[in-house]
Order: sequence, then C-alpha cells, then structure tokens
Amino acid sequence: MSALLGSLTHFQAMVFFALTVSVTFAFLSKQSTAERVKYFLWAFVAFLMVAIGIGWLMYPFSQ
Amino acid sequence: MEEAIKKEERAGSAATGIAVAVAGWIVPGLGHLLLRRWGKAAAYFVCVGGLACAGLAMRGGVFSWGDPDLFDRLGFFADLGTGGIYFCAHWIQSAGSDVAHATGDYGTRMFATAGMLNLLTVLEAFEIGLGRRI
Repeated sequence: MSALLGSLTHFQAMVFFALTVSVTFAFLSKQSTAERVKYFLWAFVAFLMVAIGIGWLMYPFSQ
Repeated sequence: MEEAIKKEERAGSAATGIAVAVAGWIVPGLGHLLLRRWGKAAAYFVCVGGLACAGLAMRGGVFSWGDPDLFDRLGFFADLGTGGIYFCAHWIQSAGSDVAHATGDYGTRMFATAGMLNLLTVLEAFEIGLGRRI
C-alpha cells in the first residue's frame, strides 16, 4: 500500500484527497441521498477547479 | 404513531452522547455504528480512516506534543483527532516519516485533515446521541 500511494502523482493525490473530504462533507451536511450526491459532486469539482486555478495563478512565479 | 416512533428514536441522553463520541473518536464511524446509522458509519470509516491511513502510507509526518514549534503543537491536536489511528501510527508507518519529498508532505496534510474530519464526525455523533440531531 505504501509503495502504491507513495508513487501517486500530485494530481492523483489531490483527487484522492478531494474525493474523501467531499464524501465526508456530503454525509455531514445533507440528509437525503439525492442532496448528498449533488453536494458531493459540487464540492469535488470545486476542490479540483480551485486547486487547478490556484496552480495556474502560481505558475508564473515558479519560472 | 410515526411521530411517536421518531420522537422515541430522537430521545437521547448525555451518557449516550459521550459514549458514542468516545467510540467515534477511537475508531472513525464507530459512534454512528452504535447509533445504527449504517450508511454514515461506513462512509466515515472508509473516508476518514482511508485518508488517515493514506497519509501514513505516504510517509507523512506525525506530530507529537513534545514538538517545540507552536504550529507543530497545533498539528498534534489535529493528528490526535484520528484517535486510535494516531496511537497506532508508528506501527502502521513502520518505515517512519519522510517529509523531504512532496509525497510525505501531502501525507502530513492528509493525516491532519483526517483528524479534523474525524472531530467533526465525533461532534455529529455526540449530537445524535443527545437527541438534538437526526
């Protein structure tokens, strides 16, 4: 398991993080299954989009 | 009749609240399992437990109370939120931490996040145990 997770790319690690946190938030904040699915999708996509957006904003400073 | 059943289901006590909160802190999802919230119990066990174990498997750092830096001590409280996993961390992570690499740094954040998420689930279990929440 350590070898598998240790070889994750940055993006894969971010997707795993976003997935687990979004599912937990969905179960914590919503009661019905439909609401949970909707909230999970929204939070998961928001996590990825914000991270990619901030990544692009920081890109010029890495040169 | 249905309302009476719902009311009975919601009736809780401080003892129940504390017991499920402690159980949920030791093992993520255990508090909800004792409250017969099967779906939530499974989701929290897989997600919070998975995130914590992934953080350790990625050789993330585990903070201890003895760290001199104030932020490290805050990290200790976050890590402590994982409960039983924190106390088994050195056994799960037999190779030790390696925060010199990005993967280890991510693992540190994942483990701390799992601790904070588990504290949120513990609070929810406590409220359900008290009968304040469905």
